[in-house]
Amino acid sequence: MTRRDFFIRGSGGLGVAALAQLLRAGSTAHGGQPGFPNFPARAKRVIYLFQSGGPSQYELFDYKPRLKQFAGTDLPDSVRQGQRLTGMSASQSSFPVVPSKFAFAQHGESGAWISELLPYTAKVADQLAFIKTVNTEEINHDPAATMAQTGFRLGGRPSMGAWISYGIGCETDNLPAFVVMISNSGGGQPLYDRLWGSAFLPSKYQGVKFRSGKDPVLYLSNPSGFTTDNRRTYLDELAQLNQASYQDYGDPEINARISQYEMAFRMQASVPELADISKEPQHVFDLYGEDARKPGTFAANCLVARRLAERGVRFIQLYHRDWDHHGNLPVDLPKRCKDVDQASAGLILDLKERGMLDDTLVIWGGEFGRTVYCQGHLTATDYGRDHHGRCFTMWLAGGGVKPGITFGETDDYGYNIVRDGVHVHDLQATILYSLGIDHLRLTYKFQGREFRLTDVGGRVVKDVLT
Amino acid sequence: MSRKLACILLACGAASAAEVSFNRDIRPILSDRCFPCHGPDAANRKTKLRFDIESGASITLANGKHAIVAGHPEQSEIVRRISSDDKAVRMPPAYAGKDKLTAREISLVRDWIAQGAKWEAFWSFIPPTRPALPEVTDRNWPRNPIDYFVLSRLEREGLHPSPEAGRRTLIRRVSLDLTGLPPTPAEVDAFVADASPNAYEKVVDRLLASPRYGEKMAYRWMEAARYGDTNGYQTDGERNMWRWRDWVIDAFNRNMPWNEFTVDQIAGDLLPHATLEQIIATGFNRNHRTTGEGGIIPEEYRVEYVADRVQTTGTVFMGLTIGCARCHDHKYDPISQKDFYSLFAFFNQIPNERGFVWNYGPEEPFVKAPLPAQKARLDALDQKLAQARENWEAVQPKIDKLQRKWEKKAAGDWTVTNGLAFRHDAEEAFDNKRTVEAPGPPADFNYLDPCAYAAWIKPETPNGGILSHSEDFFEGQGHGLYLIDGKVRFHLIHRWTDLGLRVESVDAIPLHEWTHVAVTYDGRRNASGVKIYVNGAPVRTKILFDQNNEPFHQKDAPIRVGGAGGMRFQGRIAGARIYNRELSAEEAAAISTRDTIAQIAAMKTGRSAADAAKLRLAFLDTAAPPAVKQARVNLDAAQSERRTFYDSIPTVMVMSDGANRPTFLLKRGAYDSPGGKVTARVPEILPQLHADWPQNRLGLAKWLVDRSNPLTARVTVNRFWQSYFGTGIVKTVDDFGSQGEWPSHPELLDWLAVQLMDSGWNVKAIQKLIVMSAAYQQDSRITPELLRRDPENRLLARGPRYRLGPEVIRDQALFVSGLLVERIGGPSVKPYQPPGLWQELAGGKGYVEDKGDGLYRRSLYTYWKRTAPPPYMMNFDSPSRETCTVYEQRTNSPLQALDLMNDVTFMEASRKLAERMIEQGGDSPDARIAWAFRQVLAREPDNVRRRILLDAYRRFAANYSANSEAASEIIHQGDSPVAAGLQPTELAAYTGVASLILNMDETISKE
Repeated sequence: MTRRDFFIRGSGGLGVAALAQLLRAGSTAHGGQPGFPNFPARAKRVIYLFQSGGPSQYELFDYKPRLKQFAGTDLPDSVRQGQRLTGMSASQSSFPVVPSKFAFAQHGESGAWISELLPYTAKVADQLAFIKTVNTEEINHDPAATMAQTGFRLGGRPSMGAWISYGIGCETDNLPAFVVMISNSGGGQPLYDRLWGSAFLPSKYQGVKFRSGKDPVLYLSNPSGFTTDNRRTYLDELAQLNQASYQDYGDPEINARISQYEMAFRMQASVPELADISKEPQHVFDLYGEDARKPGTFAANCLVARRLAERGVRFIQLYHRDWDHHGNLPVDLPKRCKDVDQASAGLILDLKERGMLDDTLVIWGGEFGRTVYCQGHLTATDYGRDHHGRCFTMWLAGGGVKPGITFGETDDYGYNIVRDGVHVHDLQATILYSLGIDHLRLTYKFQGREFRLTDVGGRVVKDVLT
Repeated sequence: MSRKLACILLACGAASAAEVSFNRDIRPILSDRCFPCHGPDAANRKTKLRFDIESGASITLANGKHAIVAGHPEQSEIVRRISSDDKAVRMPPAYAGKDKLTAREISLVRDWIAQGAKWEAFWSFIPPTRPALPEVTDRNWPRNPIDYFVLSRLEREGLHPSPEAGRRTLIRRVSLDLTGLPPTPAEVDAFVADASPNAYEKVVDRLLASPRYGEKMAYRWMEAARYGDTNGYQTDGERNMWRWRDWVIDAFNRNMPWNEFTVDQIAGDLLPHATLEQIIATGFNRNHRTTGEGGIIPEEYRVEYVADRVQTTGTVFMGLTIGCARCHDHKYDPISQKDFYSLFAFFNQIPNERGFVWNYGPEEPFVKAPLPAQKARLDALDQKLAQARENWEAVQPKIDKLQRKWEKKAAGDWTVTNGLAFRHDAEEAFDNKRTVEAPGPPADFNYLDPCAYAAWIKPETPNGGILSHSEDFFEGQGHGLYLIDGKVRFHLIHRWTDLGLRVESVDAIPLHEWTHVAVTYDGRRNASGVKIYVNGAPVRTKILFDQNNEPFHQKDAPIRVGGAGGMRFQGRIAGARIYNRELSAEEAAAISTRDTIAQIAAMKTGRSAADAAKLRLAFLDTAAPPAVKQARVNLDAAQSERRTFYDSIPTVMVMSDGANRPTFLLKRGAYDSPGGKVTARVPEILPQLHADWPQNRLGLAKWLVDRSNPLTARVTVNRFWQSYFGTGIVKTVDDFGSQGEWPSHPELLDWLAVQLMDSGWNVKAIQKLIVMSAAYQQDSRITPELLRRDPENRLLARGPRYRLGPEVIRDQALFVSGLLVERIGGPSVKPYQPPGLWQELAGGKGYVEDKGDGLYRRSLYTYWKRTAPPPYMMNFDSPSRETCTVYEQRTNSPLQALDLMNDVTFMEASRKLAERMIEQGGDSPDARIAWAFRQVLAREPDNVRRRILLDAYRRFAANYSANSEAASEIIHQGDSPVAAGLQPTELAAYTGVASLILNMDETISKE
C-alpha cells in the first residue's frame, strides 16, 4: 500500500476521487514558468561547490612561473593600473610580489597545470574546464559573495538557485528544488541567508538548508513522542478538517495547503533516507574520502549532493568556508585543500560512473581570487594575499561543458586578463544556458522593473560548452 | 502570473465602458513596451520619438509620417509597427526582450487613437481631490462612503456584494486586524449578545484603544523601515534600535497624526527645541544596514547608506521607485538621475558619517535614550554626584590648611601607583639597537581598555620607538609610544591599513634634552579620547587615523623600552611606565616631575604646576584625615556609579545635519565617479519646497505631508488598505509610477487620501473607517463564479480571506495557549530557534535562547539578525529586513507545514492549550474540544469538525495509553512546566488535538 493509498483510504468521509484529483492538482512536481526551459537543456541540474573566502588561484590553478623571478619586487604600476585595492592593503608601503610556495605540474591528456595541493583534482583534470579569467568588480567578501550568488552586490535580489527553481521547477515532488549545505568545519568569513534567499520571488523558491544532525531540514522530525503512524493519521484528520473549510469557503488556497502538508509528509520520509549515507558501499567512500563518513563535512555534503542529484533536486549549493588567506597562507591553504580536494574529485568520478555527469553541471570556485602581492608582513616562511577580483580561476564540469580545457588567459603576474574574460554575470548566463534558460528571458517584474539574475549584463560563454 | 490575470480582469472591467482612458489603458502598455527606448531615460533613447510625453510622440518621423495621428489609427505609424508580422518592422523589437503586444492591447491603442488620442497627465502626480460619491442602485448596502465606490464598481460589473459576515467571524477578523490577536470567548460572547445598533463599533473602538493596536501597527512599519537588531552585512554585529521601535508603538497608540509621524521620523532632530522623543524618531533613517567588513572602502558604503535613505523614503512615502534613477534617468517615470541625487543631498549631511562602522555598538551619531525610570535614576545619580562634588569642594579650604601643616614634615617620595601595570625607573642608554624587554602586562590591553604610556626621554635623533607592547615591525599590532619627526606619537593598531588609531603632538619636542612625555587613552574607541602631555602639560594633538573598530589581543608581545614597532631609540630613557587606566591631567602632571616629595615640600618658592599636583595628590593619598579621604572616595564612587549607569542606558542611532557636504551626481551610481554638483531639492516633476521652508530634511519632511503633495496620503492609505484586504487599491503598493498597476478603485483611493488629510491625518480614524465599511464586513466565502470572475478579490464582492502574517500566527498560538507574555517594548528577545543556525554561517557562540518570558513575547520583539533571520518568520514570508519592504507576500509551502507541526513553539503551545482544555474546558472530550475551538476560532465546531476532532482525540488517547513513554515525551516539549495533577496520557492526547486545531487552515487564516 502506498502512502497515497493510505491517505485516501484513511480519509474516510471524503470523496476518494475528489481527493485523488486534489492531490494531483496540488502536486508541486516540476513547476516552473510557461515556456521554460527556452531551449533544450544540456544539464538537468547543478551542483555548485562554493569556496567561500576567495581561494588563491596562484597556489591552485593559475601557474605563473615568472613570478619566481619577480619575487619580492614591487608590483609595477603598469600592471596594477591604478586598480582599487581593499582597505586592508591599499595603504601598504609596498606591494611585494610573492610566487606560489607550492609546486605545479601538468596533468592528464589536457596537460592542465595543477598545484601539488590538489592531487585528486589533478587526476580528474581531463573532466574539467578551467576558466582562468572569471572576474568581478567587487573586492570585499559580502558584496562579492552576494554578487556571485545573486548577480548583484547588495542584498535584495533572488539567488541563482531561487531563479532556477522559479524558472524550471524541480524534477521531484518529494524534495525541494533548491537545497543548500554548509560544511560544519567552522572558521572563516561568515555566510548570509540572502545567498540562497528568494528576495522578491515567492519564498517557496528559497534554498532549503540541509543540515547534519537530527533534523536535516528545519522542523523536519516529528516531536519525540509523535510517531510516524500518528503523523499519517494526523494528516488525514487535518486534511478532513481543511476539506471542511474548503467546503465552507471555497478558497483554493485551502486545497493548496492540504497538498503542502502532503509534501511535508513526503519530505519527512524521503529526506532522512537520502541524508543517511551509512549504507553507501565502501568503494564510494573510497572515492570521496573517509571524511565523508563524518556528517556535515564537505566530503559528506558532496556525497549527499550526489544523492540529491539522483533524486531530482534541481540546484544543489554547497558552501565551504575559510579560504580567506590574508596571512599564514602557506600553512592554512593546504588545510582547506585537504578538506575539499578528494571529495570534489570524487563527486566528479561518482557522477561519471553513474552516467550522471553528462547532465549534471558541477561548478567549483569562490567569490574572488587573491592578489599577486603579499598582504602584511612578508617573511621567509610566511605570506598572505589580499582580495583580487580582476581575474581568478573556477572550474566547471559535466552538463555540456567541454572536458579538459582551459579557457581565458592572464598576464605573467596573473593580475590582469590577457584574453577571454568571463565576468560573474557571464558565468551565470552560461549556467542558465546549460539548463536551457535564456538569461534575458528569465525575468520577474518587481517595483516596475523586469529583474534578472544577470542584472544588466551577462553573455553566454559558448566556448566552454560542447 | 496571477498579477497578469488580475490585470486582464481589471482591464476587461474597464473596457466595458467604451471609452479608452490613456492613464488606465494606454500608458501601462506604452510604459512597459516602449519607454525603455522611447521614454524618460535620455541616454537610452534611440530617436527623438518618445511616448512618455505628448510632445515627444508628435514629432515628424524620418519617413515623414507621425507615430500617432489623432482620430486615424490607420495613418498612425505606431499601429503599423506594433501590429506588423514582419520581425524587422515590429515594435518592440526582439532584441528588447519584451513581448509583442497582444491583440487586445493593439486594439486598445487603435481605439484610443480613433477616439482622438487624448493624453492625460500621470494620475499619481495630480494632487487628489475629494470625488463625489458615485450613484448606486442598492442604497441600503453602503455603511460609509467607502462602500459607494466599491458598490458602484460591483454594480457596473454586474456583481453583488456578499452578505455580512457572522458576528463570530467578524470579531475574529477585526481583532486580528487591529490588534494581531484573536478575541477571547468572553469578548465574542459579549459582542454576539450585544443587541445595540452600534455593537460592532463598540468592539472597534475597544480594539483601537488597546495598546495591542500600536504593536500590530508597528510591525508592518518595522518592515517598511527595515528595522533590525544587527548591522546586516558580513559579520553582522549587534545594534540597539529598539528605542526607535518603541517610539513607533507609542506613536500609534497615542494616535499621532500621520503628518507628525512623518515629520518626526524624517526630521525630528531639526525641529525647534526637539525633544528626546523627536530625536529618537529619526532613527528611522538609521535603520539601514551598515557594514564593518574589514577592507571595505568606506565611502562606497557611506554612499549606500545615503542611497538607502532616499530609496526608503521614495518607497514608503512617495510610492516611487526612485532607486531606479540612481545609475541613469528612470526608464519609466519622469525622475532624472539628477532628481535622485538632489534628494540624496537631503540625506547626505550627517557630520563625520562613516561608511566603515563599528560592529559592536552604535555608530555616530547616536543618543542616549533613557527610559523614564532610567531618566529618574540618572537624575538621582547626577544629584548624588553634585552633592559629592559639593562636599569635596567644601573640604578644600580644610585640605589646604592641613596640607600646609603636613608639608612641614613631609619626607620621602610618592608617585601614582593606582593602575600601574609596568614600571622601569632606571635610566637606560639606547643605541638604536638594544631594548629593555619585560613580559607583557598581566591585564588585557585591548582596543577598549583605557591606558597611559609615559617616560622621560632624552632623544638624540627625531625618530625612535620609546615604549611599546606590540609586534616588532612598524605596521604590527599593538600599542606603541613613538617619537616621529620629533613629535610624540601614539599608535593603537589592530591592522595598520584600516583598523586602529594614531595620534601625534602637533609640535616637536627638543632633541638632546630631557622631556617627560605621556599619552592617555580613555578606552572609548575614538582618537579624540587620546591626550598627549609634554612635561606634564597637555599639548595640541593631531589625529592621523581614527578607525578603532576591532578587538585584538597581543598576548605574546613583550613590553619594550627603547623600542616600538620595529623602531629603536637613540638616546636615554628613564621612568618608563604603563598604566591600565586613563590618568587624569593632575596625575599626568604629577608623574612628570622628578622632584621628590621631600624636595617639593622643602621648596619655599618655584614649585612647578607638576610639583604642586604631585604634592597635593601625595597628601591626599597618604596623609589626609579620614573625613577628607572619605569625601574623595565618595566623589570617585559617585562618578564611577554615574558612569557605569550611564553606560548601561540604551542608545539609538539618530540623524543629524550640518556637514555641509557637497553632493554630486554619481555617474553610473558609482561612489568614485562624481559628475555635476547638485543641491537639495525634490524631483522636478513634483511641486517644489516652499521658499520659506528650510531647504533641508525638515523642509523635505514638511513637503512630504503638504497638501500639495500628490503622493504621500495616497500611498499611505493604500498601504493601510492592503493590511485589511490583502491587496492595495493600487496593488503595487511600492510603485505608483507608470509601471505600477492602475488602481482598482481610483476614486476611492483619492477619497480616502483626502479624508486622511482632512481628518488632520488621523490614523486611527482611517483604520476605523475601513473596518466599519460594509465592504470589510462582508462574508468571505468564495463562490465558483466569484473565483472565476475575480480570483484575487480586487473588486471586493466578498470579504478578505487569506493566511495570517508570520507574527500573527505565532502570537495567536501563544495567546490561546496562555503562554503569551504581554509587555510593551524593551530590548529584543530570543525565543526558540533550532540550534546551530548562527554558528554554521559565522561560528561564534551563536544564538542563545532566552529563558522564561523572553520565549513568549509578541513576535515584534523577536531579535532580528539580518544575515540569519528567525527561520520561523522567514518560512511564513517575512521580509528579511535588509531593505525597505512594503509588499505583503503570502506563499504556501511544505516548510510551513513542518514548522507548524514540529516547531517546539507550536508543540508547546499545543500542550499548554491542552492543559487549559482539561482545566477549563469542562469534563467531556466533546466540551473540551469545543472550548479550544472557541479560543482559537471564536466559534463552536460544527458537527463535521467536532466528529473529526473527537475521533482524533480517541485515537490519540488509545495510542498514548498504550505508550506512556511517548505521552511523557510529547508533553515535555518546551521550557514551561507541565501543569500539576494532570494525567500524562490524557494531556498527551489533548496536545495532539490542540496541535491539529493550531494547524488548521482556518486557524492560520483570516476568514
